[in-house]
Amino acid sequence: MTYAQRAFIVLWKDVVTERRSKATLNALLFFSLMLLFLFQFTLGGDRERLVSALPGLLWLGFVLSGLVGLGRTFLLERENDCWDGLLLTPGDKSAIYLGKVAGNLLLMLVVEVILLALFALFFNVDVARALPALSLVLPLGTVGFAAVGTLFAVMTAHVRAREVLFPVLLLPVEVPVLLASVKATEAALAGEPLSAVAPWLQLLVAADVVYLVAGVLTFDALLEG
Amino acid sequence: MTADHWGFVLAAYGLAAVVLAGYWRYLCRRDRELRELAKTIAARPARRGA
Amino acid sequence: MSRILGWLAALGLAAGMIMAFGVAPREVTQGNVQRIMYLHVPTVLVAYLAFAVVFVASIAYLWRRDPAADRLAHASAEVGVLFTGLTIAAGAIWGKPTWGTWWTWDARLTSVAILFVMYLGYLLLRGMIEDGERAARYSAVVGIVAALDIPLVHFSVYWWRTLHQPPSMLKPGPASMPEGILAALLVNVAAFALLYAYFVAKRVIVLRREEEVLA
Repeated sequence: MTYAQRAFIVLWKDVVTERRSKATLNALLFFSLMLLFLFQFTLGGDRERLVSALPGLLWLGFVLSGLVGLGRTFLLERENDCWDGLLLTPGDKSAIYLGKVAGNLLLMLVVEVILLALFALFFNVDVARALPALSLVLPLGTVGFAAVGTLFAVMTAHVRAREVLFPVLLLPVEVPVLLASVKATEAALAGEPLSAVAPWLQLLVAADVVYLVAGVLTFDALLEG
Repeated sequence: MTADHWGFVLAAYGLAAVVLAGYWRYLCRRDRELRELAKTIAARPARRGA
Repeated sequence: MSRILGWLAALGLAAGMIMAFGVAPREVTQGNVQRIMYLHVPTVLVAYLAFAVVFVASIAYLWRRDPAADRLAHASAEVGVLFTGLTIAAGAIWGKPTWGTWWTWDARLTSVAILFVMYLGYLLLRGMIEDGERAARYSAVVGIVAALDIPLVHFSVYWWRTLHQPPSMLKPGPASMPEGILAALLVNVAAFALLYAYFVAKRVIVLRREEEVLA
């Protein structure tokens, strides 16, 4: 079995599991909806302020729901005594990592698209013209989160105060991705061409590459025992 | 001439001195404690049998 | 060995203080409050050194599984966080009279604050894992990822602050470096580097003793 096949099997298993139970997806969607309501209540009826804060609010929503989703990456394996199964996988275990990252990426993107649509609906914002640009920015930013989040999720799975430690570890590391994503989203929503924010996009790509490579190289060490 | 704000200079260096000295004392104390502990363990009668 | 380092550090710090307050001239635009720089800049530079050591030691640990590498990473991270905290505090104390505010989201302070939280997380992770071997492996990964993130943090925060603002966001420090100021700065950097080395040496010894005694 090739490396790619092994990674794909992990991805497929998670997708199928999720499609059957929809547990995580439902929880994340509900959570995102609540965030949307919170933003409306806390930022008041001032539409101008809301719209100008929209890129930041969007990513705030993505990050917060992402934290919930990413933290659960290895929950099934842990709860159902499948952890040893992971350990005993033959060959390069980083294939598991990439499969998990792909799964998380997919999950987060689904939530993000739905959240974007909800934002457009509830806050009466026209995002249609920004869609081509956003379809580049959202995945680039989300890969950045998924790559490190999946890696850290392995570690925090074994720690007592995992709900607290996971965001504490992940969020500072993700500041560059967050800044770049918000700036690029800002440009997209304002109708500017993406070339105007080329440095930010380059940073996103660089970050994604660095994180994925680091993850592939270190995942094995995390899985031992 | 701009004000010198010596109070702030003192505050910054004073804080640094207190923190660094505190850490140093923590290291020395911990080192001492562990050396004592090592001595008492070594001084215990050797166990018989394997 | 660590004793020699200790004495060298003490000497260095004494020399540094003399340079900072006796030799370095009074700065023209800011006045004597600028002398905080001889504390603020060395602590941040040595903090970067500390985290670079954490990076290398973490890689060495994952590669060789040598407990000495793990102890070095742990000690260096701890001292690094200490120095980073001092950098932020000194920066804030410097900022109040010069900028009129304790905190400002300028590029340097923000980057350093992010660094502080990252490596504080490293120490938290270590504190929360009982198994020594697992703690070593996990924190090595965090040490590596955090260090790789440092340039990314720098660029992103710097661009965030300057891309839509005039680049005249003032950083505390003279525009050009008169000789006395540069010399004082260098002496203090060396002094704090020696202090770092001394602290790390002692901390590593304490860690080793802990392993031997509490095992």
